[in-house]
Amino acid sequence: MKEQDKQKGFKTPKGYFEGFTDKLLHNIDKEASSMPKEDGFRVPDNYFEKLSREILQKLDQQETKVKVLHPYRKYYYAAASIAAILVLVITLQFNKGEGITFEDLANSDIESYFDNNELGLTSYELAEVLAINELEISDILETQLNEENIIDYLDDNIDDFEELNLENDELQ
Amino acid sequence: MIAEETLVDQLKQKKTQQKAFEVLINTYKERLYWHVRRIVVDHDDTDDVLQNTFIKVYRNIDGFKGNSKLYSWMYRIATNEALTFLKIKSKKLGVSSEELQIKIVANLQADVYFEGDQIQLKLQKAIASLPEKQKLVFNMKYFEELKYDEISDILDTSVGALKASYHLASKKIEAYLKAD
Repeated sequence: MKEQDKQKGFKTPKGYFEGFTDKLLHNIDKEASSMPKEDGFRVPDNYFEKLSREILQKLDQQETKVKVLHPYRKYYYAAASIAAILVLVITLQFNKGEGITFEDLANSDIESYFDNNELGLTSYELAEVLAINELEISDILETQLNEENIIDYLDDNIDDFEELNLENDELQ
Repeated sequence: MIAEETLVDQLKQKKTQQKAFEVLINTYKERLYWHVRRIVVDHDDTDDVLQNTFIKVYRNIDGFKGNSKLYSWMYRIATNEALTFLKIKSKKLGVSSEELQIKIVANLQADVYFEGDQIQLKLQKAIASLPEKQKLVFNMKYFEELKYDEISDILDTSVGALKASYHLASKKIEAYLKAD
């Protein structure tokens, strides 16, 4: 009844309700379009036309580099290889047992290698290789953690520190 | 357009390799260019990354087993190349990857190959502030208009996780654009 009373005396423009949904959706779209659809980037003129040629040339250049230009070179390589083997054998004879092993690398060298080279391994891949189960926390941390440090850390970083004391309370 | 399987076969045979590679470049150069460009932003850097991507594709085509689509495989190589490029760049400059992002967008205003207006510049700043994965998903969905299935294939992430990332990224960007 009340609904009908309200309508008495009021009128809406013709077709108002029919067009309502469209108008609303249009307005929502307009609001969403505050995010531009174009990113504003452009490329130099004719860039794409030249690209294939450039890549093919690059490939050609790289392949020419490995072409054998002088067939007699392989004899030089053979001679050099024999000489190298002789030198190696002689050196090994004189320096038996003094070869360089992985252990001889300084830790700092290994660390700087990892710092400067892109390993291309994700943390998951690393996790598969590392025997995490056999590691102790002291293997990773140089400074030993004492109980006080741990409590200080938890106190600073946990919202409700009291919650952690639950077990203690129960013991008391 | 040439069928993907035919193209892969031709790429693997010495006799047809060169011609097929040219077709491959012409088919994918623009799509991959824009994909890389949105990650590394600078045109010259994009050019380097894109050329390396195609060369890697050429050299490793024998390793392509056809488990995924050729274009997803290429997109994956391009994405990895672009991200590795940025990592090396930040290491060379001695800055963190976040600092590098700020630097890159700051250079955009003076970039001759950027002609965006203030809103577009702000949009780039907003995108630069996103975490790596969200940035990739946002660009691939919003600008490149790839389907979730396709992005899932490229980034090796479930569709559900991608939708969540895209939703978060859009919310952050909207908030960034509306601020001040």
